[in-house]
Amino acid sequence: MAKLPKPEELSKIDLTPPKTDWMDTPVVFKEGMFCHGSKPKSLEIVGFPNPREWRPADADWKLPENWKEILLEGIADRLKKYRSFRLFMDICVRCGACADKCHFFIGTGDPKNMPVLRAELIRSVYRKEFTTAGKIFGRMAGARELTVDVLKEWWYYFYQCTECRRCSVFCPYGIDQAEITMIGRELLNLLGLNIEWIAGPVSNCYMKGNHLGLEPHTIVGNLEYMLDDIETVTGKRIKPTFNRKGAEILFVTPSGDLFADPGTYTAMGYMMLFEELGLDYTWSTYASEGGNFGFFTSNEMAKRLNSKIYAEAKRLGVKWILGGECGHMWRVLSQYMDTWNGPADFLEVPKSPITGTVFENAKSMKMVHVAEFTADLIKNNKLKLDPKRNDHLKVTWHDSCNVARGMGMLEEPRYVLKNVVNNFVEMPEDTIREKTFCCGSGTGLNASEDMDLRMKGGFPRANAVKFVADHYGVNMLANVCAIDRATLKALMEYWVPSVGVCGLHELVANALIMKGEKERTTDLRGEPLPGIEAKEEKA
Amino acid sequence: MPVMQVNDRTIALDDEGYLVNFQDWDEEVACELAARLDVGKLGAESISMLKFIRDHYRVFNFFPIVNSICRNIHAPKNCVSEKFFNPLIAWKIAGLPHPEEPIISLLEAGQSPG
Repeated sequence: MAKLPKPEELSKIDLTPPKTDWMDTPVVFKEGMFCHGSKPKSLEIVGFPNPREWRPADADWKLPENWKEILLEGIADRLKKYRSFRLFMDICVRCGACADKCHFFIGTGDPKNMPVLRAELIRSVYRKEFTTAGKIFGRMAGARELTVDVLKEWWYYFYQCTECRRCSVFCPYGIDQAEITMIGRELLNLLGLNIEWIAGPVSNCYMKGNHLGLEPHTIVGNLEYMLDDIETVTGKRIKPTFNRKGAEILFVTPSGDLFADPGTYTAMGYMMLFEELGLDYTWSTYASEGGNFGFFTSNEMAKRLNSKIYAEAKRLGVKWILGGECGHMWRVLSQYMDTWNGPADFLEVPKSPITGTVFENAKSMKMVHVAEFTADLIKNNKLKLDPKRNDHLKVTWHDSCNVARGMGMLEEPRYVLKNVVNNFVEMPEDTIREKTFCCGSGTGLNASEDMDLRMKGGFPRANAVKFVADHYGVNMLANVCAIDRATLKALMEYWVPSVGVCGLHELVANALIMKGEKERTTDLRGEPLPGIEAKEEKA
Repeated sequence: MPVMQVNDRTIALDDEGYLVNFQDWDEEVACELAARLDVGKLGAESISMLKFIRDHYRVFNFFPIVNSICRNIHAPKNCVSEKFFNPLIAWKIAGLPHPEEPIISLLEAGQSPG
């Protein structure tokens, strides 16, 4: 892992634009600002084109001879296939409303990270090849030739966009920059120009069912370890089931929660909640990944990886699917899964067996987000909660881009949070809800070799956290996204070290009073509960 | 191929210093790997951590959940970073094969893909 500059150095952002016009300013690959190139093995496993050893900083990218033809055909295909793509290419008036809304622009000061200009990288080629004005007037009409340098510029900047869609909130035309980046990455993928932090998890998921490559017995082993910890904290031994046919509910969550802290505490939280409810559910070691890094390569790959969820639900004969805390997982599920792999007419419209609530919003996809599920439980007084157990925490809420902006889930997690903690503080209004700032590392950019980029991109989010930490003593940043749990931890350690990171259901499980549990003395992390030390001292 | 000498044995490493043959590992090899990585002398606690990591890997084809290593040897839960800086270095000294890229970021920087 490359050494990072100190925060005081990284926060000196140079906003002086280059002296030359953007088309005449060549891309410079800066160490720490990009990820490693994809490995041939990862591409071969899923049948992606042009697998070979290559390095982004090398002059020769070992492109196929007809690379230009492949790309132009790729653009033409997508213009036919996606009406949105053509629309987004045509309608931008370059008003600049999006320019300063991107966390990567704010954190780097690089004009090509203005969403409008990032889109121009591809739009200029579109004009040259697909519009009459561009063909005749060339540069005067904002058109330019597709060259290897242009291709490199695409790669560098489409992997400096996290598809968070904050810019689209401010666009008067509603142009969705995420879709432009998605198309950009799809096109690059046609030439084998991926990053290994995406291609590796994709091939793992294809071969073993999850991004980490955890084998079935390893999934069980890791959860067993967490069950030991739950027993230590609560005195209760939980026995979840795996791949059980005839269960009412299939539970799917991101694999990150099965290995890495603080995600593991969230996974413990799910299991404690479901145990308390007596929920008839099963884990699957086949559909063992809620996330979908295929979504960051191509629509087709995302569809292939996603297909396991419905297939497993059908095989097990469950009634509906419950999903864990994740960000992009939910954009994929709520906006794509049903179209790709549905209709899931072998499933029933999800109905909570505890409250009887029918989740009409999931009528078609048949999958419910655990935050909605828990909010409904609390609303119907089905949980005994003691929020005082979280009194050592002052919590603020990070709206994960794909859940908040992507699917409009703004109130449910807040409702849960307010019932399980006593100290909740919102970050400034322009940095939350649909205007939330990205963690700076989504869409497969949370590798370890691009830390400069990640810390710069996460700067606006960290700055808002710092504000509530300084003014209100906030010490915990909660969220419902597995990538956030990993990336924000690194971001906080760098920018605001006094603030920790947790998932929502870790806090739920801390507050949850379970039947027959022993008196708790620690939280799920093994830290003493508030008041316990004082009690022990008195005794 | 790079090699390292441990007493009278020649041990094969890959270009990034990972052990090529899992079965070449023993405590002496671990000490030599640790010295190359500036980890310092390996005490009894470190050796039992490494043995646990190897046993776990043999069964599960994966690195153990980091806190479970410490629990196993009854040490505080930051024991891995205290002894080895980060779990990736523990991986290397435990003589596990060259990890795939996602595992590197996972162990080196706590990053998980989804």
